[in-house]
Amino acid sequence: MSDNENLRAPLSSGSGQQAVLEEKLEYACSRLEKAQPFNKVRFQHPVLDLGRRLMNQENGIPVLYAMAPRMDKAGLFTGTDWSNPGTLLPGLVTQTFEHGDRDTVMLECVSELRLLAIAGGVYSSPGISAEHARHFLTQVLALNLEYLFGTRTETVRERLGPLGEKVEELFQFILTHIGFENILENLIEEIWRILAQRPVQVQNVKTMVTRIAVMLSRGDIEIGEYRLGADRLTSALFSPTQGCYNDPGIAAYQDRLDAMDFAALQQEAGGFARSMHDTGLVSDYHAVFLRMLMAREQFQLIPDALGLSSTGLDVLRCYQDLVHALIREAIYPQTAQAVYGLAMLLERGILHIPAIAPALWRQIGLNLSVLTESTLIQIFGEAVSPKIKLLAGVISLLGQPLGIAQGNNPTCQAARALSLWSYNAPDYLLYFIHQVSKYDSLLMHFEGRPILSTDVPAGLLQSAPIDADPVSALLVPHLDRIYNEMSRLCIGRGEDPHRWINPEFHGWWTGRDFVIVVDVATGNLKAADTFITRFYNSYHPFYNGNQPVIHPQPVGVAVTDSNANFVGWHAITLIRVALDQKNVMRVYFYNPNNDSGQNWGNGAVVSTQGHGERFGEASLPFPEFVSRLYIFHDDPLDNSDPAEIPEAEMQRVKEMMQHSWASDRMGDAG
Amino acid sequence: MKKDENKGYVALLGWKLNAIDALESFDRRYIVVAPQWAEDYAKEHNIPFMSWDYERLDERSFEIAHRLQDEGVDVAIPLFEETVEWAGAINAVLLGNPRLMGQSMLFRDKSLMKRRAQLANIRVGIFEEGNDKGDVIHFLKRVNQALLKLDGDPNDPIHLKAFDKSGCCGHRVIRTPDDVNNIPDDEFPVLMESHLDGFEFAVEAFIKDRKIQFLNISEYVTLGYSVFIPATPELEKWRPIVTKEIEKLIEAFDIDFGFIHPEYFVTSDGNMYFGEVAYRPPGFNALELMERAYGFNAYQGIVLMFDPKTTEEEIKKFFPREVVDAKGHAGCFGVYPRRRVVSELRIPEETENDPYFEFHELQAPMENKVTKRSAFGTHWGLIYFFGEDPHRMKDLLKAQEELDFYV
Repeated sequence: MSDNENLRAPLSSGSGQQAVLEEKLEYACSRLEKAQPFNKVRFQHPVLDLGRRLMNQENGIPVLYAMAPRMDKAGLFTGTDWSNPGTLLPGLVTQTFEHGDRDTVMLECVSELRLLAIAGGVYSSPGISAEHARHFLTQVLALNLEYLFGTRTETVRERLGPLGEKVEELFQFILTHIGFENILENLIEEIWRILAQRPVQVQNVKTMVTRIAVMLSRGDIEIGEYRLGADRLTSALFSPTQGCYNDPGIAAYQDRLDAMDFAALQQEAGGFARSMHDTGLVSDYHAVFLRMLMAREQFQLIPDALGLSSTGLDVLRCYQDLVHALIREAIYPQTAQAVYGLAMLLERGILHIPAIAPALWRQIGLNLSVLTESTLIQIFGEAVSPKIKLLAGVISLLGQPLGIAQGNNPTCQAARALSLWSYNAPDYLLYFIHQVSKYDSLLMHFEGRPILSTDVPAGLLQSAPIDADPVSALLVPHLDRIYNEMSRLCIGRGEDPHRWINPEFHGWWTGRDFVIVVDVATGNLKAADTFITRFYNSYHPFYNGNQPVIHPQPVGVAVTDSNANFVGWHAITLIRVALDQKNVMRVYFYNPNNDSGQNWGNGAVVSTQGHGERFGEASLPFPEFVSRLYIFHDDPLDNSDPAEIPEAEMQRVKEMMQHSWASDRMGDAG
Repeated sequence: MKKDENKGYVALLGWKLNAIDALESFDRRYIVVAPQWAEDYAKEHNIPFMSWDYERLDERSFEIAHRLQDEGVDVAIPLFEETVEWAGAINAVLLGNPRLMGQSMLFRDKSLMKRRAQLANIRVGIFEEGNDKGDVIHFLKRVNQALLKLDGDPNDPIHLKAFDKSGCCGHRVIRTPDDVNNIPDDEFPVLMESHLDGFEFAVEAFIKDRKIQFLNISEYVTLGYSVFIPATPELEKWRPIVTKEIEKLIEAFDIDFGFIHPEYFVTSDGNMYFGEVAYRPPGFNALELMERAYGFNAYQGIVLMFDPKTTEEEIKKFFPREVVDAKGHAGCFGVYPRRRVVSELRIPEETENDPYFEFHELQAPMENKVTKRSAFGTHWGLIYFFGEDPHRMKDLLKAQEELDFYV
């Protein structure tokens, strides 16, 4: 009965002290395991404290790595910001290491180890795939190169003490397990892959590029052919043109500009535009240059500096005063990235919609409410005024409707709505932004019933998202509440609430018919044949009379990991269906996740570039897409003869369904 | 966990997450009877809940008893000192035994409790009830007169305890008439006791059918600071005598079932004195120490004792053998800041690196200035230890008293 023997004899895995700690951690874990969800919080600290002391042992990290999945399952992350690994943001990790208390730093360490286990395929967790975990860790490594290369700043060392050294060791451990031949090369590839999706939020990328630039400038690291890719990234940020060669600093650059003749300025303009459209990154000098053009009234160089095509040029000429006002009011070195948004805004031609120009004038003249100002200052600081920050955010969102992401927040619905509106109803979006930033509330209707965001309780989101763009920061809390209230009103209807919510929440253009392949009561697959046929007949140009998608549609997918295991339900936007350059029919869609490039297993590899995608789009071949789809909207069926879907293709789609997310949902539906 | 309809249905009186947690993973049905402030939380986490205000015990106690009876509850279990008499009143109805109400009143009044013990021929120290400061000075004087102290000799201290508070709450040590002046008037009436030199320890006894089913001796290293279980062999030597004393208590207080937590003194001349007894789980997390040392959930053990449908086999299977089945000794230490001004929590290295150290439940200080301690029982948090040598444990816990956890 007695375990005293175990206590006396140290385990073979380490020193006596380590064995003792392992035994204690074991007990702490088992208590956490046994605790009910509401009581987890009480037993989390002992696990973290013992974990930290174990980590300080010579051989502690491998033991923690082996235990990390168990700690995760036991509920170490329950009730914390780390509870949903799929929404973690690599950019926040540095912050945690620099400012978190010991328990938080330790929580982050264990989270990294659990992701490592997921990436290595020895553990799986709902909500995140192995690829996703690997991407995440790669980016964490990129953002924390100083830990890897031992150039950590003194302040971190001072604050974390011995734990700081262990964090360094942890990064080395992750590095060996991720198994990079040369980490920098992978990082550079990773950055290019992210940039190809043209995100609105690029702070992370900028930080990674900066870290890499610092590493490379030490001169003792050889990365061969990747040097070029790295140099293009670095120069896009720090010296995209002749004039800002050697990253002179803003004051020195202004002096150089003063000395330039027109030809030199024209060359500068072209240099900025090329670099910006090449990478999607905007250098701070670019904003300085545009402001200089405005100050000197050299307006004729603006099209060159924005790299406009004939479409953009035409819009600029029609709305010259407005565009100039936008530059004057929103483009500063601190908001330089909005230059890309502005260029794309012009290229989209949406200023030709009658309501947009006056709505933007309203935005320019808008006085923010006290709450709006304080929210924006709290999140983005005071480097520029909240008004400038918001206007820049509006420009970016209007220019890059598919570049917005949900951040580390469970709000894919709200992020998708913002993207949809920017894409399809920008004036409606501007109306909402105006409502919230001026009146701190938002009114929507559900089946005739008004819902005021300030009258209903918070939904999934407890406070304003701190890691999203300015427009999301303001609107998402309101949208989340309203969405949550709509869900509440649907309780008891016995069917998937999106049937009613989607048309009311997203807009009139959402199809009035609702098709679902899951039986809500049992979670089993139902009527798969009808579902697939209907989707082909509605959306596949070969089977719907060659009708392209008119309005983007909210649809739901069952996301799977690279082993095709079910990860979770997710809200995306179906944008268009078209043939790619190899004549493969593909579905192009928007995914509010921060990174759309995902491997969903069974050959369903979501592509974000190289298959006809426009910036921000993700795509899958039509059958692969259908195999992960579970709800879509459609216009009511007409009675004409639908085209026959080839039996072989039907079978293939069904098999992909059955061998992925629906594998344990077969019930008797077949 | 799946509930067994053939076993009892218990009501927990008071809100305690650890107890609820234990019941969630036990086969008994349960319902928590607690103040309304806990209701939303209970609902959110699907905890069976009945809202009740424990402020005043009056004719409304029948109302809650009948509500629980209608609900089908078999027995009520008190979790806090303040709910002990409620449990008595409710169980009197549920079990059709009016005597339980009176019994619970004895547990709630330290003075009555002592008289009852005395009547049953259990050895207690000298005690009196004090209604004001004058009574206290009088008692202090008479006790020291009896000890033949002369004027100017340092007094033997006396102890003051509130009638109806748990554990160390409201416990004061009085040595001089000046100390008396510091007692706020609202603390009266109090129980006054002479000081006994020697060592104090506590017992946790699980009782069913008037028999002790499991008996734990908790060794205090320093009262109000630290405790560990199982006790040292030196104290465990007393187990046969302790068992006899507990059996006396069972008779004196007519205890058919339940869980009691008495405290005893052993004086330097080897006599054992009864201090007080509580009919509820002890403070200082002794139940958790039991779980650490023996591996059984003590809350579940208590439920077994109260549930009238518990079988003998069940009890036999549930409890390990005392002392021999312990995997080691588990102890905890209550931390008080030693400095008047503190700015941060820092676990001393010697504690942190000690192989017995498990973890702490200390919080970073909210205020820099430390309020002066007026009575026992306001530690800032506990730190836990586990190891195999009871003597080392004792020394280790003692050593903690000289360390600063807040600097």
